[in-house]
Amino acid sequence: MSETPSWQELLDLVEQLNNSDYESASVQFGTVSVRLSKSEHVSESPAAGVLAPAPVAATPSVATTAAATPPASTPAPAAPAAGDTIDAPMIGVFYRRPSPGADEFVKPGDTVTADTTIGIIEIMKLMNPVAAGKAGVLGEFLVDDSNAVEFGQPLVQITLA
Amino acid sequence: MTSTDKPVVLVANRGEIAMRIIAAARRIGASPVLAASVADASSPAARAADRVVVIGAAQASKSYLRPEQVAQAAVNVGAAVVHPGYGFLSEQPLLCELLEAEGIAFAGPRPETLRAVGDKGSARQVAIDASVPVAQGIEIDDPSEVRSLGEKLGFPLLIKAIHGGGGRGIRLVTNLDELEELAPQAAHEAEGAFGNGALYLERYYGLARHVEVQVFGDGEGNAWIFGDRDCSVQRRHQKLIEECPAPGLSDARRTILHESSRRLVKALKYRGAGTVEFLVDTQTDDVIFLEVNARIQVEHPVTEEAFGVDLVAAQLRLALGLDPELPVVPAVPPVSVIELRINAEDPLHDFMPNSGVLTEVTWPRGPGIRIDTQVETGYSFPPFYDSLMAKVIVRAHDRQAAVAGALAAAQNTSIEGLKTTLPMLEYVLAHEDFIAGEVPTSWFGPVWDSRKDTHD
Repeated sequence: MSETPSWQELLDLVEQLNNSDYESASVQFGTVSVRLSKSEHVSESPAAGVLAPAPVAATPSVATTAAATPPASTPAPAAPAAGDTIDAPMIGVFYRRPSPGADEFVKPGDTVTADTTIGIIEIMKLMNPVAAGKAGVLGEFLVDDSNAVEFGQPLVQITLA
Repeated sequence: MTSTDKPVVLVANRGEIAMRIIAAARRIGASPVLAASVADASSPAARAADRVVVIGAAQASKSYLRPEQVAQAAVNVGAAVVHPGYGFLSEQPLLCELLEAEGIAFAGPRPETLRAVGDKGSARQVAIDASVPVAQGIEIDDPSEVRSLGEKLGFPLLIKAIHGGGGRGIRLVTNLDELEELAPQAAHEAEGAFGNGALYLERYYGLARHVEVQVFGDGEGNAWIFGDRDCSVQRRHQKLIEECPAPGLSDARRTILHESSRRLVKALKYRGAGTVEFLVDTQTDDVIFLEVNARIQVEHPVTEEAFGVDLVAAQLRLALGLDPELPVVPAVPPVSVIELRINAEDPLHDFMPNSGVLTEVTWPRGPGIRIDTQVETGYSFPPFYDSLMAKVIVRAHDRQAAVAGALAAAQNTSIEGLKTTLPMLEYVLAHEDFIAGEVPTSWFGPVWDSRKDTHD
């Protein structure tokens, strides 16, 4: 592995830990330290370098939050009238790319499974991968890259498989 | 910033205090934005705000209690200041620090103040350093070797967890044998509940009143004192009725309370609104510091009505770097004010909370009546949060008139669809002990329970 891990490497790590028995884990890649937890509480970023990407919340904690969401009565701006959507599991800033200039995680027309990462939501420097949560074919994105999102706000349309 | 040039006030709370902060934001010409859970996204407070931002799921642990979610909401809406209200994150230094890092003001004390007064041990030390009277207390080094400490202090005693809060982990012991038996248990429980088993012993005052002083600091050592409040009508450490001024305090005692509080504000260079809580013993002349509540409190309206001030607007002004526009007031206001907390609880069935739709809500009207609430006819009172529905605040020229006015106000309040504490409030307001004033905190429990025996 190179000195600075790529997003894919981090996501692979999350995947591996998710399928393991660990409740939480802390891993150091050169200058980057990553802390993961399956529980609700992802502790604040360690004192480690300012340049390092922030700790990554493991997908499971994200999925838990989404699953616990009551039927959304969110007055989200410009919500589509009908159809299924993938909604923001948390408040934050939505990114469609792992880094500026990189390809988008997914595009309209892509087929996704529940585990497919469709974007990242940043909350106070903490980067959280957003899993599709359902299988299907993606439609239009309802939030532009790098825009603020609220909890429960529809991110992208999806035609369920 | 929004398209207008009004500063944005992010209201990081719900219920009546959210409404209160929204009103204060409007008073100072700011734009209130509500940070709400999904369950509150279309609440009356949400409608009253200029905008709502949904920060998380209905459960408070997934929304109102998450500093990073509130701070992110403040960033997303371009807030100039965040007001945390009471409870939730109001005394959480982490929220304050997250906001400071983003250049957003926090309408509350500095994080170091929150830490200094948030821990019982350090709060006690701050009080001692400021010559504020504290209870005779001793830290326990070894929970199995407490006999000599008990002999030194005398009984009855309270065993308290140094890192505890909310009345948890407190044990009353009346003799040496009980102390020896319960100290190790308390240490074990404190370890489990608070991650730290450190304990201390304190004299117990069984017939004391709860009297507190409203303070406001400019953050540079200057202090305003806005009188005192008596909050002695309590059930299991929960306040039910509060009043300003505290009745029957001698000038000497009142001076001790106010000047002790002033010294604390100066010592801490306290910023914003706060409350210094004391026990005032009815058996001796003892006045005992309890704690500093580093936030606006539920019962702040009695002080506002007594002195004609807007403490929440002052908090917002100070946080925005403006003059809080507060007057210097006399120690005792020229009026008497009583607040009734109406909770969604059934007082005839052990104060069991209930939730659901309010089919009819009618408030009393008239001079000196203020209602702080967000409930209204048709509102669905949610099960996720605390049971406070409304506060009815009544001002009159003296205490007797205020008690009578509060009773009339309670009798002319109608809340249908849920059980409320109104019958309990009416009972207390008509009780001769309360009318006489100066009841201790231990008064309500047995009086209410014995009343149940004869009427149920």
